[in-house]
Amino acid sequence: MWLYMVLAVVLLGLEATGQGLPSQLRAYANDFVSPVLRLLEQPIRAVQAGLERIAGVGDIYLENQTLRDENDRLRQWREAAMQLSRENERLRQMLKVPGREVPPAATARVIGVGGGAFERNVLISAGISDGVRRNLPVVDESGVIGRTIQVGRWTSRVLLVTDLNSRIPVRLERTGDLAIAEGQNEAFLMLRFLPEEIVIREGDRLLTSGHGGVFPPDLPVARVSEVGEGYVRLDPLGILGKLDYVRVLDYHAVPDEDAIALPPKNGEAGEQEQQP
Amino acid sequence: MTARRPVITSFGFAGLFPVLITVLMAALMLLPIGSGAANIAMPHLVIISVFYWLSSRPLLMPYGACAILGFLLDLWLDVPMGLNMVLLLLTRLFVLNQLKHYKGRSRLVHWAIFTVLTLGLYILSWLIVSTVYGTLWSVKPIALQWGVTAFSYAPVAFVLGRMRRMVL
Repeated sequence: MWLYMVLAVVLLGLEATGQGLPSQLRAYANDFVSPVLRLLEQPIRAVQAGLERIAGVGDIYLENQTLRDENDRLRQWREAAMQLSRENERLRQMLKVPGREVPPAATARVIGVGGGAFERNVLISAGISDGVRRNLPVVDESGVIGRTIQVGRWTSRVLLVTDLNSRIPVRLERTGDLAIAEGQNEAFLMLRFLPEEIVIREGDRLLTSGHGGVFPPDLPVARVSEVGEGYVRLDPLGILGKLDYVRVLDYHAVPDEDAIALPPKNGEAGEQEQQP
Repeated sequence: MTARRPVITSFGFAGLFPVLITVLMAALMLLPIGSGAANIAMPHLVIISVFYWLSSRPLLMPYGACAILGFLLDLWLDVPMGLNMVLLLLTRLFVLNQLKHYKGRSRLVHWAIFTVLTLGLYILSWLIVSTVYGTLWSVKPIALQWGVTAFSYAPVAFVLGRMRRMVL
């Protein structure tokens, strides 16, 4: 028994001193458990889908009517958005402003969640083989959900925005002021480091500021849900309660080191200039 | 003189059942059950299973099995590595020392003992995690998970009991 206990204490010591070994082990351990999770989740997803179908039958007529109205509104919005997009593109070309679209590295399914009390993370079905790397932003259809922290061959672990270790540089959409959205291991986030003179209202949206180099600017992160004495509480915009498919964005804040041209050494500059 | 065989092997494949079912519990803890939210506290099914099997068939859940189960859980759950190893080893130590006092007593007594034990384990895990990360961790989610785990003991133990009667 004591041998195992000593081993456990050694492992805890490695974690406490920030060694990379536990993290690497975890990344590849997820690859082994992922086939089991995929198998086990099949009946669960089938039951969930069945229950949702049964629940939806009752109000199908009302929902159909609502969807028709929404579809009409969305058509109008689509036309307006396309017109603005074309105009935006033309202006960007005229001013030579580089585009800000971030291509997805992979689209993946959530195959597992961290069920413990100490973490808020999910396991997704994309890894190195799909082009995923550490610290890439992960989004769903509504907003940011987190970033990749461990990447295995076929799976990756995503640290959710609600995790205690998550800090996202954000800006207030209405005023442009900068702050940090901090996870609490709860369903909500807290806003930190916002200048005191800023008047913040419930319903204000927060977008990524682009600082820190992990998240591209202007991705929706959260909405202000409560403003109290000395604290601002946020609801994440990503639908963390119903995560299914997510997108990993292939975002580079700065070019890779290899891609940066090294400065020429003494003597080489002259030679290069002489070349035709 | 012949070498002593581990008791776990004397039951054949059935002897591995408690360990295998606990590995399955560990995998279940990772599944996106319900709404799939990482914000929903999942009961610690592995501690429930380990406590149940130690209370009913302690020889089929040796220290080595507890250590391996804890290690796997640490890998999969992204908690400090060694944390669940410590918790499961202490669970075995506790049960082996206290089983004589509650063996054969009602399910309610087992439930009460499990609740007290897990309270101690969760306090210890809070201390370990706070030490490893060098910051005082929020108590609320841990208290919530303890509550959910303690509450879930009775139904999960009932299901495990049915399985035990079928297999062992």
